[in-house]
Order: sequence, then C-alpha cells, then structure tokens
Amino acid sequence: MRRDAFNFVHPAVSMLFFLFVTLITAFVLNPVITGISLAAACVYYIMIKGKKGVLFCISFALPVMLLVAVINPLFNHAGTKILFYLWNGNAVTLEAVLYGVNSACMFAALIIWCACLTSVMSADKYVCLFGRLIPTLSLLFSMVLRFVPRLLSRIRRVSAAQLGVAPPIGKSPVKGVKHGLSVVSVTVSWALESAVNMSDSMKSRGYGLKGRTSYSLFRFDGRDLVLTAVLVVSFAASCAACALKAVWFRYYPSIKFTPPGFFPIAGCAAFALLCFVPVLLNVKEDITWRILRSRI
Amino acid sequence: MPQSEKKAKTSRILGVIAAALVLFVLVPGVIALGIAVWDNRRYLIVSLIIILLSMLPFIISFERRKPKVRELVTLAAMIAIGVAGRAAFYMIPQFKPSVAIVIITGAAFGSGSGFVAGAMIAFVSNFIFGQGPWTPWQMEAMGVIGFLAGLLFCRRDGRLPKLAALVAFGTVAAFAVYGLIADTSTIFTANSEVSWKMLLAAYSSGVIFNLIHAAATAIFLLILAKPLLKKLNRIRIKYGMLEQ
Repeated sequence: MRRDAFNFVHPAVSMLFFLFVTLITAFVLNPVITGISLAAACVYYIMIKGKKGVLFCISFALPVMLLVAVINPLFNHAGTKILFYLWNGNAVTLEAVLYGVNSACMFAALIIWCACLTSVMSADKYVCLFGRLIPTLSLLFSMVLRFVPRLLSRIRRVSAAQLGVAPPIGKSPVKGVKHGLSVVSVTVSWALESAVNMSDSMKSRGYGLKGRTSYSLFRFDGRDLVLTAVLVVSFAASCAACALKAVWFRYYPSIKFTPPGFFPIAGCAAFALLCFVPVLLNVKEDITWRILRSRI
Repeated sequence: MPQSEKKAKTSRILGVIAAALVLFVLVPGVIALGIAVWDNRRYLIVSLIIILLSMLPFIISFERRKPKVRELVTLAAMIAIGVAGRAAFYMIPQFKPSVAIVIITGAAFGSGSGFVAGAMIAFVSNFIFGQGPWTPWQMEAMGVIGFLAGLLFCRRDGRLPKLAALVAFGTVAAFAVYGLIADTSTIFTANSEVSWKMLLAAYSSGVIFNLIHAAATAIFLLILAKPLLKKLNRIRIKYGMLEQ
C-alpha cells in the first residue's frame, strides 16, 4: 500500500480517466491496444495495492481470462486457418483462438480497471460528482453506505444483549437459529425506527429547502486542469487513430491489420500516455519526493 | 393533497415519455450505431450502453417525484438490510436474501422505489464483492424485480399481500428474471461471438445456480416477508405515514 497520488486529484478528473480508458479498451479490439491497457491496469493496481494487487491479478483475473480464451474457439468456428478438429467435428481455427485470447485480455483489463475504480472512487467522490445532477439518489447512496456498517455493529450489540437476557441453553442448532432470527428481527426494527427519527431530524435541520448545497472536500486546481488537458488530448488522438483506421485489426475471416507506420505508432503512444497517467503521476511524485529529501 | 397528486401525475407522465424515448429512439439508435460503425461485434459496450439507458427513465422519475424524507431514509435502511444480507451469506454461492428484500421493498414502497432499491443493492454490494462489467446487469435485474414486485403487490390501502403469492413470484423472478439477465450478461461481457448456441449453453450451465437462487429467495421470503412487512406497516401507523 502507498499514498496514491491519483487518489488526490479532483473526482471529475478520475472519472474522466476511467471513462476514457474503459471506452477505448472496450471498443478497440486490437492486440496492441488491449496489451497496453492490460499492462497499465496491472501496473497501477499493483502499485496501489501491493501484494494484494498481485494476488487479485493472479487468483481472479487470470482464471477468468483463461476461461474466456478457451470458450471462444470452442463455440466459434469462423476463420480460415484450421488447427485441428474437435470430437464433434467442429474446426478450431487460428483466428478464433487469437480472437479469444484478445477478448480475454480485454475482459481482464476491464476487470482490473474496475478494481482500480473501486479503490479510487470513494463514496464522497460520487456524491461530489452526482450530487447536483441526481441529488436524491446520491443522498440515498451515501446514506446506504453509512447504514451498512451501522447495521452490522448493531447486530453485534443486539446479539450480546440477547445472550445476556436469554442465553440459548445447550448447543442445539434450533436454538441457535432462533437466537439469530430474534437478533435480526430486533436489529431490523431498530434500523427502521431510527430511520424515521433520523428523517425527522433531517427535516428539522432544513433538508429539502431551497439553496442548500452539499459539503465537498474537492477543489479543481491547476494540476487538475493540466491532467484534464492531457487526458482529453491523448483521448482525442487515440480516437482519431481509430477513426483513421490506424489501429484497425480484423480477425475474421482472416487476420488483417494496418501495418505499423507513423500513425499507428502515434495512436498507440497516445493511448499508452492516457493509460499510464496515474502511474506517471505516482512516479513523478516519487521523484519529487526523492529530490526534496536529497536536498535536506 | 391535490398539488402533490398533480406533481406525481406529471412525473409519471414524464417517466412514461422518457421510457418511450429510450425504448423507441435511443436503444435502436445505439444498436444501429453498433452495427454500422463497430461491425456488430462490440457486444459488451453496446449492451452496457443499452442497460444504462434503460435505467434512465426510472432514475428521472424517481428524482422528479422528490420522495419524502421519511420514505427516503426508510428506503435507505431497507437497502442497507439487503446489502448486509448479501454480505452475511457470502460463503454459499447464490444463496442470498437480497432478491427477497428487494421484493419486500417493492411491495411496501411501490414500483419506482422498488427499482431504485434493487439497483442500489446490486451497486452497493458490489463495492464488497467487486465491481465489473456485470454490475449494470445485476442492477438492471434486481431493479426490474423490485419494479415488478411493486406493480403486483403494492396496495395503496396498506393491505398486506398474500404470502403464497409473494413466494411464488419470488421463486419465478429469481429463476427467470435474475437468472436470464445474469446468464445473458456472461455471454455479452465475455465478448466472444454471440449465437443461440452460446446463449443456450450459458442458460443450461446456469440452471443449478439459478435453482439455488430461487430456493434461497423462496426460503427468505417465507421467513422474512410477514415480519418485515408488519414492521414497515407498524412504522407507517406509528408515525402517521399513512395519509397519502
């Protein structure tokens, strides 16, 4: 675990980043683009999560990837280069195998980007972003996030109290279940009644009146502006490369793609810049920190 | 209250207009775009856009309706119960009470709030279980179940729905609605070729999980529906929330 520099940029910038990256990753089925995205996602996730990140990539993303890669050639028999025949007479083609590998990498990249998104975008950032657009749902969302841990802690308290009042004698499972049910019942009543109390308190403090804003910790500063510019320019360049068919790649019926040249390489470089923005930001912070320390 | 009734009516009409717009203009547009521009092979992204679009009318009508504070906070408590319930049974695959909670919420609060509760339970509980391309699909599936439960069981006079009907609906909804949408999502998100054969394979491999899910929903409805609905009714009477 480290202090993730990308975690401290304005939520709009983070959201824009994830939107751009996942859009291009999901749209463009090109081995180079997918590879860049997957590599950036892995590097960033491992950077912010450390050992846990490695574990996630190996124990969750990799099996999913293998599954997707194996399924495609089993069901899809398009393509021209036949590798071998299955037991039921269907052909397994080279194109289908490669297509499966590519879409598997894309799926894994998306999963890891989503994991990064969960780690970066905390609830207060969602509320900051959507608080004005969908205020009721944002409020509901943040209240739910508060209620879940409170519910769990209340279950513990009610359980302790119930054990004190009427301990289940013996170890029969029926009594255990009965105890559990009464705990759930008490906790649910408590949660619902306190919800009404809470709403009365909210109302008396002026919820729903005109001109009230929600508190937000975030400020859009110069660094955010620079980052937004970088994101938008690199996204536009990647889109232009796609539109000009510079990163065009076809699997069926036979593999065909744009040969490498200036535009394809520039397009991939732009996309790489886009994907590695959080990683680069962290590296930049590390370097700054090291320089500052060496000056002491 | 005539004014609030008028407001509710306009918001309902707006919701219908938004739904029609999404269904007849935006969704075909996205599909056409997918065929024309992306060669009809970007199933993942096109299906995700369609799913997100289909949630739009519900979101708009919920926001326009401006639910009362008491309803909002009680709804949040129900959603939290659903999320905690899913977290409590995480060790048994597909054995989760969240669909039962969504159905009870829909029956108690109405179709609009039922949809919001379902979608929110799926969204928030995936903060624990992991977000991914499947999140919008789960939100849609749970939301639709809550919406249907609200349409079928929510009574304005506050009468409790029949337990047998709730359980029957819950079993069918968990097996057919949730199972179908979740299994379809595995095909679309895996982004290989989509064919009837693949869909059939996905549905048949999902049958066992869907059966467990349906049984779990039925069991949890049998245990939870009566006491929970009674508790909600009690609160309504105790705090005078019945007059609408």
